[in-house]
Amino acid sequence: MSRIISLTRRDLLSLFVSPVAWTIIFVFLLVMGLTFHLSLLGVDGDLRQLVAATYGGLVFWFMMLVIPPLVSMRALAEERRLGSLEMLMTTGVSDSSVVFSKWLATWVFFLLLWICLLPLWGLLSTVGRVDVGVLFSAYLGVAMVGAGFCATGILASAVTSHPLASAGLATAMNMGLFLIHWLRFLYQPGDLELRWIDHFSAVHHLGDELTRGIFDLRIPIWWGTFTILMLFVTTKVLERRRW
Amino acid sequence: MIEVESLSLSFGSRRALEAISFQVPSGSVTGFLGPNGAGKTTTLRVLTTWLLPDPGTTRVVVDGVDLLRDPRRACGRIGSVLETVPLPSELRVCEYLQLRASLKGIPRASISSELSRVLQEVDASDVGRRRIGTLSQGYRQRIGLADALIGNPPVLLLDEPTRGLDPRQVTHFRQLLDRLRGDHTILLSSHVLGEVEQICDRICMISEGRICLEEDRDAWTERLATAGSIRVEIAADNPAIKSDLEAISGVRDVVADGSGWLLTSDSDVRQQIGTLAREKDWTILELRRDPATLESLFLQLTVSGVAT
Repeated sequence: MSRIISLTRRDLLSLFVSPVAWTIIFVFLLVMGLTFHLSLLGVDGDLRQLVAATYGGLVFWFMMLVIPPLVSMRALAEERRLGSLEMLMTTGVSDSSVVFSKWLATWVFFLLLWICLLPLWGLLSTVGRVDVGVLFSAYLGVAMVGAGFCATGILASAVTSHPLASAGLATAMNMGLFLIHWLRFLYQPGDLELRWIDHFSAVHHLGDELTRGIFDLRIPIWWGTFTILMLFVTTKVLERRRW
Repeated sequence: MIEVESLSLSFGSRRALEAISFQVPSGSVTGFLGPNGAGKTTTLRVLTTWLLPDPGTTRVVVDGVDLLRDPRRACGRIGSVLETVPLPSELRVCEYLQLRASLKGIPRASISSELSRVLQEVDASDVGRRRIGTLSQGYRQRIGLADALIGNPPVLLLDEPTRGLDPRQVTHFRQLLDRLRGDHTILLSSHVLGEVEQICDRICMISEGRICLEEDRDAWTERLATAGSIRVEIAADNPAIKSDLEAISGVRDVVADGSGWLLTSDSDVRQQIGTLAREKDWTILELRRDPATLESLFLQLTVSGVAT
């Protein structure tokens, strides 16, 4: 466990010394701040609607699809390219520990980005009533989707040695999970095929429930399983590419 | 001790190691020599557990631990310095070594004293607080070595460890190896043959993925003493000279060398050449023996390297 903590701390530090990370932070805060501001103007004082617009709209999904791949793109790809992965893996640390700590560092960074938005809600609570429960469940959704998409980012980073290729691959994978939801419009309501689409749809497994404060146990189970599966596949890819 | 038996490794259809076998006795410093692309780094990478050998490999044992069965346990017995040491430039030396110590399972309470020890060993205590990015190549190499020494592993694998070091640092490195000798089993891959000749108790030569020589110091010193080349220049233009020289017992090869001949032999044949000159009535202008060196042995036993 102490090895995982040490590795995660080191990976987090290396994220914060990278100019890419600071660019991501800047663009994220700018775009989400603007979204927040425009949504606030459009919801006519209904703060529940503001939560739904901030944590469920198209900009939200865009950030979800793009940010984790950009944060995770260097995780394993860069280490492999520089040769430091060899030094890391020959210290006796297990492949799964390395994969988990890389994912954890990426996820923590991703969560920190979203936590940076909390002061806006704090500010809003001075003039209106913010439903903390709804906000909490929305953040739960962010954490779960982020965990899954960070895991696909780590997988892509294990597959290639080029960070940009890794980011592109992870975005494509995330986009696939996102776009599959819209296939439902090809079918009539009640078609059996819809059930299969829903099984694999990222949007279906976040939906409106969490931004409305409704907690459905199936959602964390789906995202948890998806994250573990991605990390498991990453470990296997790493083993295979190493040996 | 390191024991390698029938170690093979392929990269796709290319065989990098062809069932090589060798031993590095406990407490010895063994020089691992070979041209570029011969398989030195690949062998070291197998020993560090980074590469998995082909299924036909019989045995790879590091300090009593079967690397094929328990690679993670074997990792704990090995300290390695890679050919190029990729260090994170954003970290301070002590932060980096602290991280490496914790990854190697050193208890938190003893990390600080362990770092002091290894930094002192490699004569780098003065740069402990400096960022790695600001260090010279020589210091980076020493930090890599300090990393290898963390936890006092019984086996050290050193791949070109003196690359980038200045002569003073190289001397210090030799003194360090002398101190480590006996307590550690050291496999040293190097292209600096003079260094190997000075430091190593044993040499192991590899060429095209095959071991072509494995001898201890006594054996290779004797080999060098008896081998070597002889240059002879004779004041006669007789086409039969070459065949006459070739006929001398012990002579393996005769080649033209400017105005004279260069003989490769298993022993010193100058006396036989003198006798032959008297018989044939040759006038000898020069008769000189060039003793064999590790370099000539290396050139003789290895084929030219193929970059990989």
